[in-house]
Amino acid sequence: MNEFLQRLNALSWDACSQWLVLIPSGVMLLAAAAAAALRNLIHAALCLTLSFIALGIVFIALGAEFVGLVQLLVYVGAVAMLIVFAILLTRPSDLAGAKSPFAGLGPVGGILTGAGLLVALLAFIFSSPVAKTALPPAPVAPVAKIGELLMGSYIVPLQVVGVLLTAALIGAAVLAMEDKQP
Amino acid sequence: MNFFALPVHFVQAPNELKAWFLSLLASFGVPAWLLVVISAVLVIGTIIGVFLVLFALTSVLERKILARVQNRYGPNRVGPCGLFQPVADGIKMITKEDLVPRSADKIVHFLAPVVMMVPALMVLAILPYGRDMVPAELDAGILYFFAVGAGTEVAVFMAGWGSNNKYSVLGAMRAIAQMVSYELPLIISAVVVAMVTGSLAPSAIVTAQGDFAFGFFPGWYVFTPWGFVACLLFYIAALAESNRCPFDLPEGESELVAGHLTEYSGFKYATFFMAEYVGMFAICGLLVTLFLGGWQAPLPFLTIVPSWCWFFGKVAFVAFTMIWVRATLPRMRIDHLMTFAWKFMLPMSFAAFLAAACWHYAGRGPLAWALSAVIVGVPYLVLGNHFTARFSVTNRRYQFSE
Repeated sequence: MNEFLQRLNALSWDACSQWLVLIPSGVMLLAAAAAAALRNLIHAALCLTLSFIALGIVFIALGAEFVGLVQLLVYVGAVAMLIVFAILLTRPSDLAGAKSPFAGLGPVGGILTGAGLLVALLAFIFSSPVAKTALPPAPVAPVAKIGELLMGSYIVPLQVVGVLLTAALIGAAVLAMEDKQP
Repeated sequence: MNFFALPVHFVQAPNELKAWFLSLLASFGVPAWLLVVISAVLVIGTIIGVFLVLFALTSVLERKILARVQNRYGPNRVGPCGLFQPVADGIKMITKEDLVPRSADKIVHFLAPVVMMVPALMVLAILPYGRDMVPAELDAGILYFFAVGAGTEVAVFMAGWGSNNKYSVLGAMRAIAQMVSYELPLIISAVVVAMVTGSLAPSAIVTAQGDFAFGFFPGWYVFTPWGFVACLLFYIAALAESNRCPFDLPEGESELVAGHLTEYSGFKYATFFMAEYVGMFAICGLLVTLFLGGWQAPLPFLTIVPSWCWFFGKVAFVAFTMIWVRATLPRMRIDHLMTFAWKFMLPMSFAAFLAAACWHYAGRGPLAWALSAVIVGVPYLVLGNHFTARFSVTNRRYQFSE
């Protein structure tokens, strides 16, 4: 009886895995475009959050379960809240007089920058030796394996990042501390 | 020969029922893709149904328990002992006028209750409700719980901002600050369990707690020194995460009307209410899974009781203690709340972390017990002394109700 259920589960995954990638990708692109285009800052921030969520779902659908969940935890739980708090804590008048040094370039500048970045990335991707080799079978990356790698081969980078974040935390606390001297 | 071994059909009733129903449909020639859909709908429908019934029951039982603690009757008019009160409440909520402030951000105001409900229901997917009863068997189930649960903060912010009301924004900012602060001890105390088990899968964590020491003493993590501390920390942080008393100051009536819920009425308010309670059950379920042995029976001969009965029994017990706490403790002040999170909960969760690591490397025997007890006990005494040094703690004198 259990085999019957297991077969069903495997079937359901095969049938919809393609759509599980395509639909969130579309949502992600639309939400990102909306985040760039909307005038209302809060709406833009919420659309950005939506595109973070969709990106997490794309990762999960592609089999990178751990990365997808961490994407949700960090970007939706922390980064989105950080952006929202930054908007809440700055008054609109702070932004009224502010002008970007590149504002004179207008939309042409934006399009040129984006196109330049796209060309540079594409050139880099197609010239890389990785693109010329055939795709290996998708690696299976259980969470335990990722944990072992992080705690084994990649322990030094992990610790360095940890130290960096601790330094940032202490720096933020120092900035927020009240000045005792008159 | 085990006299208590029952036919699997009884203990595994929900699973057997589903498999029987699906194979029945298959014999009628229903195509496989439709079976997949039906199978998923069956599971999801059952979970949503069970938790909505639990929510309805709890909403009336909570008021009854609070009333009992406060020496009054509580709801007792609708149905036997007031048990149909949720029905009356539901009719009232649905028929009430849905007010939207004129200057509100209409879309955000409308979407907030929906966004609140989605993570509350989604986190239910990874809880092991019984033996072989995990709706979604995820390798990183615990991570999934916290990742999806992060959506709640977005919903609270949307509710506060969308209402365009200063009380709503203040309440939402308080709620988010509190959730972010208490998420740290919550996640660290869950990580302790994942570390000792060596897995983030909830079913593996439950299985690891299934042994009985000396043949009768359950091997639940709460019965180890580090597990006891982590369990208490997780419980306190869970209270704060679900915005329950004594951490319910985002909705402190006396200063903020109702916080981010101020501008909500009718069914939208009911949705928030429901999401909060379902979220509370979910986090109680996670606490039971992590520390109280999940669906494992407390004594060997009690394994004849179906595993899902144990799970829901334990969840009901933890939820009851949360109601009890609400009836007993006054609301905290915002600065006390933050101080408590950062200066007490966080160091204690690190101590539990260290104690668990020592417990593991000292061989999990009596020596490990003593070592980890010292590692969590010393910081507790030091921190406790530090924070209570300014107050003289004496027995309370009752002036009116003696």
